[in-house]
Amino acid sequence: MTLRVDRVGITTVQDLGRRGWAHVGVPRSGAADRTSHRLANRLVGNPTGAATIETSGGLVLTALDDYVVAVAGAECEASVDGRPVAHCRSTRVPTGATLRINRLVNGVRAYLAVAGGIRGEALLGSLSHDTLSGIVPVPLASGTTLVVGSPTAAPTGLDVPITPRDDRKLRVDPVPYVDARSLQIPVVVSSTADRIGVRLHGYPASHAAGGELESVPLVRGAIQLTPDDELVVMLADHPTTGGYPVIGVMQPDDVDLLAQCPPGSTVVLVR
Amino acid sequence: MPVEPYGREASIIGGLPHELPARLRTAIIEECSSQHVPLDDVVPAESSLVIVHPNVDHDRIRRVIETLLPAEVGAPKDAAIQDVPVVEIPVRYDGADLGEVAQRSGLGIDDVIALHSGCTYVVRFCGFSPGFAYLGGLPARLHLPRRGSPRTRVPGGSVAIAAHYSAVYPRESPGGWHLLGSTDAPMWDLRRDVPMLLQPGDRVRFVPVAAR
Repeated sequence: MTLRVDRVGITTVQDLGRRGWAHVGVPRSGAADRTSHRLANRLVGNPTGAATIETSGGLVLTALDDYVVAVAGAECEASVDGRPVAHCRSTRVPTGATLRINRLVNGVRAYLAVAGGIRGEALLGSLSHDTLSGIVPVPLASGTTLVVGSPTAAPTGLDVPITPRDDRKLRVDPVPYVDARSLQIPVVVSSTADRIGVRLHGYPASHAAGGELESVPLVRGAIQLTPDDELVVMLADHPTTGGYPVIGVMQPDDVDLLAQCPPGSTVVLVR
Repeated sequence: MPVEPYGREASIIGGLPHELPARLRTAIIEECSSQHVPLDDVVPAESSLVIVHPNVDHDRIRRVIETLLPAEVGAPKDAAIQDVPVVEIPVRYDGADLGEVAQRSGLGIDDVIALHSGCTYVVRFCGFSPGFAYLGGLPARLHLPRRGSPRTRVPGGSVAIAAHYSAVYPRESPGGWHLLGSTDAPMWDLRRDVPMLLQPGDRVRFVPVAAR
C-alpha cells in the first residue's frame, strides 16, 4: 500500500510526537495542531496517534492503491483528479488518482489522514519530523514513495469539525515564580512563526531585567518574554529549556488554534 | 519550594539548589513508576524541574514530590553520585577562543587546560539541541559571560565554556560559548539505541589528547 509524492510543498509527516526524551534536549514534536490531526484520523477510522501529513500547501500525491483520506485543519483547495474534496469528510481516492492540496484559505496547516496511517521506521518512538533536532523518520521529496498501513476500522462519515473561533481569545494560565502582568492585551502574530514557536508583537515594553537569566524547562504553550519585549509561544518543536522568563502557559486546545493563525492576525491573550 | 501547576499538563518546582533537579528527576521517576503514575517527561533545568503529566492531575504529582523532597533536600551535596561512573571525553585543546579565555582569566593557556581538564563535572541539565549537556563544576577562575556576538556556525564536537558551565556542541549550530577544543566523542547519534552520550546526573571528565 503506497502513495507517491509528486510535489512536496511545505509538508512534514507528523503523529502525536515523542515522549520521554525532553531531559536530553529532544522536544515532543508531533502535529502542531493536534485537534485537527486527531480529527483527520478519526474521519478515516485511524487511531488518533496514526501519522498524518501536515502541509501548508503545494502538495501533490499519486495514489498507487485505493485509499480513503480526509483533510482537516486549515481549509484548503484540495482536489482528487481535479474534483474538489470536501473539508473534514472521508473521501475515496482510487488507484492512479492525483490528490492535490494547493493553497490554504483559512489557517496555515492542513492535515491529510490516510486510512491505515503513514508508516515508517520510528525514531525515538515517533514518526514525527522534528525541525529543531533534525530528526526526520520519513523524509519527503519529489518521487518519495510513502508506505501506508492496513486500515483497522471503517471510516466514519461525520465527526464534529472544530469551528474556527472568530474572537481569537487564547487562554493562558499564569505560572509561579513570575510577577505576571495583565495578559488581556491584543498581540499580533509575526511572520516568524514556524513549528518551533510563534512570535507575537505588541506586548507593552516591560523593561525586563537584562543579562543572562537561569534556564527553565519549557513545555508546549509556554510563553517566553524576550529582551526585545516580544512573546514567543512554544509550539511542537520547541527547545526543551530556555533562558528567557516564562510568563504563562497557553491552554493546549488554544495552542492548536494559535498554530492555525496566519502572520498578521490579532489574538488576545486572556486568563 | 512548593510544587505549582505549569499549564494544564505539567507541574514545576523551582528554587532548587543546582545539584538537585537532576537527582530529584530520578527519584520522581522511580516513585511514580512504583505507584503506576504515568508521566510523559521529567525535565530538569538550572534550579527547577518540570514534570509533564497530561493524564494525571497536578495534586497527585504534588503529593508524590512533597513526600520525596525532604529526603532529597536533606541529602549531602552531590551524595548518591559518588558511585556514578565517570564518562571520559578526550579533548584536543585547539579551540579558537583558548588564547582569549587565558587572557581574560589572567592565566596561561596551559593553566586553562589544566583547570578545565582537572575537575569532575556533573550533567545538571540538557537543552539547546539534542545531546547538549550543561556540565556543572567548572572552576570559578574560568567563569566568563557568553561571547558578545554569537558565532553563526560552531562545528560539531566543539568543547566550550560559558558562565559556570562547560559543554560539547553535539552538532554544528550557532553558538555563543567560548571554544576551548574539540572532541570526536559521539555526543548524539540516532543510530544508537541510546543516542545521547550524557544525561542529567552523569559525571564527566575531559582528558587532554594531542592536537591533530
